[in-house]
Amino acid sequence: MSPTRKLCSAALAAALALGLAACGSSSNSSVSGGSGIAVTKGVQTPRTESQSGGKRGGTLTVLNHTDFEQLDPGLSYYNIDYEVVYATQRPLFSYKPNSFSEPTPDMAAEPAKISGGGKTITVHIRKGVHFSPPVNREVTSADVAYAIERGANPNVGNPYFPSYFSSLEGAAKANGGPFPGITTPNKSTIVFHLTEPKAPIVLAALVLPLSAPVPEEYAKRFDAMKPTEYGNYQVATGPYMLENDSAGKVLGIGYVPGKSATLVRNPNWNAATDFRPAYLNQIDIELGGDTTVIGRQVLEGSDMVQNETPAQPIVRLAYEKFRSQLEISPGAGDHYIAVNNKQGPFSNVNLRKAFWAALDRTAMNKARGGELVTNVMTHFIYPEIPGFEQAGGLKGPQVDYNDYPEGNMAVAAKYMKLAGYPSGKYTGSKTLQVVGSNESPSAEDAEIANQTLKNLGFKTKLTLVEDSVMYSKYCGTPAEEIDVCPNVGWVADFGDPQAVLDVAFNGKNIVSTGNNNWGLVNNPEINKAMEAAELVVGVQPRAEAWAQIDRKLVAQAVAIPFDWDKNPNVESKDVAGVGDLWNTGQWDYSYTSLK
Amino acid sequence: MSVGAAGLLGSSGSGAEAPGDLRFPLPESGVAALSPLQLFWRRFRQDRVALCSLAFVVFLLVVALAAPLIVKLLGLPGPSVQNPNLTDSFGSPLGPSLAHPFGVDQLGQDVMSRVIYGTRVALEVGILGTAVATLIGVVIGTLAGFYRGFLDTLLSRLIDVVLSIPILLLGLGIGAACAVRGCVGGTIQPGLGLVIFLIALANWTYIARIVRGLVLSLRESEFVQASRALGASDTRIMFREIFPNLLAPIIVYSTLLIPLNILLEAGLSFLGVGIRPPTASWGQMIAAATPIFNTAWWYMTFPGLALLLTVLAFNLLGDGLQDALNPRVAR
Repeated sequence: MSPTRKLCSAALAAALALGLAACGSSSNSSVSGGSGIAVTKGVQTPRTESQSGGKRGGTLTVLNHTDFEQLDPGLSYYNIDYEVVYATQRPLFSYKPNSFSEPTPDMAAEPAKISGGGKTITVHIRKGVHFSPPVNREVTSADVAYAIERGANPNVGNPYFPSYFSSLEGAAKANGGPFPGITTPNKSTIVFHLTEPKAPIVLAALVLPLSAPVPEEYAKRFDAMKPTEYGNYQVATGPYMLENDSAGKVLGIGYVPGKSATLVRNPNWNAATDFRPAYLNQIDIELGGDTTVIGRQVLEGSDMVQNETPAQPIVRLAYEKFRSQLEISPGAGDHYIAVNNKQGPFSNVNLRKAFWAALDRTAMNKARGGELVTNVMTHFIYPEIPGFEQAGGLKGPQVDYNDYPEGNMAVAAKYMKLAGYPSGKYTGSKTLQVVGSNESPSAEDAEIANQTLKNLGFKTKLTLVEDSVMYSKYCGTPAEEIDVCPNVGWVADFGDPQAVLDVAFNGKNIVSTGNNNWGLVNNPEINKAMEAAELVVGVQPRAEAWAQIDRKLVAQAVAIPFDWDKNPNVESKDVAGVGDLWNTGQWDYSYTSLK
Repeated sequence: MSVGAAGLLGSSGSGAEAPGDLRFPLPESGVAALSPLQLFWRRFRQDRVALCSLAFVVFLLVVALAAPLIVKLLGLPGPSVQNPNLTDSFGSPLGPSLAHPFGVDQLGQDVMSRVIYGTRVALEVGILGTAVATLIGVVIGTLAGFYRGFLDTLLSRLIDVVLSIPILLLGLGIGAACAVRGCVGGTIQPGLGLVIFLIALANWTYIARIVRGLVLSLRESEFVQASRALGASDTRIMFREIFPNLLAPIIVYSTLLIPLNILLEAGLSFLGVGIRPPTASWGQMIAAATPIFNTAWWYMTFPGLALLLTVLAFNLLGDGLQDALNPRVAR
């Protein structure tokens, strides 16, 4: 698995939109948004928004404070970029807006076939899909093969190729050219050959934009440049394309860095080959500006949406005065406290349980905006991911340290005593190194966690640093021996429970730098269970297998969970926006329409 | 010969404002020389703005010293007491009320309590940092001015080098590099010590330059020459003849330096490399309040006002001291 740093950052940014103001209790009643997640009445969700019947035509204006990072499908790995990439590119599989568990064949004609004991994946390519100008020709399986192969090209350097595609035969030595792990027996078939029976996870990763076809004869000259220039000359297979000139040049035309991006209809897109309605004629994306100003423009203007998560005052304004223009997407990731399972006080499971019991998770979530945009996290597979319900749903496993979202010092004292501290307070000499993010609301969460530790008798040294520094230099570097990272977050790359649990809690994934198993969890029983669950095929069996692992993680209190994120989005009154459940819950332009 | 008490609070050994100055009418009963301190106070008390500022500074000192008692007397919770019940169901802090006159922050911590405790940090950093900077500046300035020559050149270049260090960037760098385990074996740690170190580093040079200039002038004075002719040692001349004549400008400059240092601390804490949470610092509170200003104006307003009034009071006090100690340059 790859770190989802960018997506995590986005989730953290989403949390910035919190801190909402007082709302009348009468208007705060909740309805089910699916998967047992409560959403506030009157607020849209991807499950309540209609995917059909939209008005065709018109131009949507998208206001976006942040510039894109990479629009090349082989490089893109950022939630903001994904909104454009998934409107212009067709990976082998993709998620419909209201689903984050069952990928739909997209460039693939039908579901993939797994054979060879989980070592072979066969995918048939949809016919009749054409590249946008200037390539224009029909897509073949070789284009998908090249798209994935270029992920290993040093000039491209796809960020998640090593994580998800390293089990392909020859992937370790791949450098952009063909390798034995990918073959194309005919123009409409692509076969993946694996060295290990890891077909389920490789198949799940085929929803990522790396599997969107790229025409080799056109892209090769751009990929020969260091770094690749293909993103600036890209062609599309989706309903939209970045506006370009006759030579295919996008840079300065369809995308002006820091200024704008323009999506126009792909003239070669055939609706009969796609499940997306693609109502809009054009999408004008304006880059830059203050997020609060942008949010107000969107709420009070027309034909607009805000691309990224709106600022806190805007979510509040939308909630209080423009509720029908507010959309909340559940399943936008999670936040938990990583505690050092390997050494120090929290190598003792009872101290971990005591911390869990003592923590006021509702206070942690209030700091992130309260129940409108969070749910109290009670286990580790988050909402909308298969296995969530099997692992306990919203309520989570019924163990006493998990039963009190507001925290319970009596239960905490019980576990302190079991840990060998008869007074119910920690009496050791160790000063805990607590390193958190200094960005709001993570900083507030860090202070609550720090105070909880003090209430348990621990001496602490709280240090707040930049978010990226917290991950890269401290929490992601085991040699730093950090005891507590109070606000780490995770967003799965795709809707599979392994994408949530494996990297974060499998001992085999502990590395010396860039480590994402922040708590250094290395429990042989859990590792073995994960090894077995990796091989399980099928959504339901995998959900059950990984839910069992989730229960083991709770039983071992490997981390202290507190927040399942929900992502807010805002739109103008005359926009029928449709948000996604996957990614971090942003708008989906292929389904959004004007009223 | 020493100018003694006359120079203690006079402008310099030149005796511009010697006792018995005819601008002050003598009592009819006879000549009653006013001490320099009396002269100073006589001038100072005429400046009502400075007096008010002094009163406010004294008030701040009392607040800082008796913070726990004041918080207890006012019935406020401690500065680090978190109470999520004081935020609404969506996490917005509640505004000013009788129980919490300055409102609460996102963690339900009482803002008034934190502002009161923040006074401690502000004054501690402002006064201590200034004291260290002054000590270093006076020693180096005196040595440079008194001995001149190679030592003066060396120390003056050192001052130039230190002046060229971007202190804020240095603070950010040290704060980032030494964040968790500290640097130099843990000697340099972010927090109060680092802030005081940076303040001293940033400010001693200015004092050193002023002192050097004064000493260069004073060392040529007749009373210094006379003392030297009588066989006084360098140390004696520096301490007994020159130093008393430096006190007035040092006091004035140091007083004006304190508010700058309080602002620097607030700036460093605002940027996250100053005082560590949960210790209350005005700058840190202002930083934490920024994202929620639209919904919780009180969280930024009260620490901001405290910072503003404190800096203003020290500045006005410094001006008043300047006027009283050196009336020739009075406004």
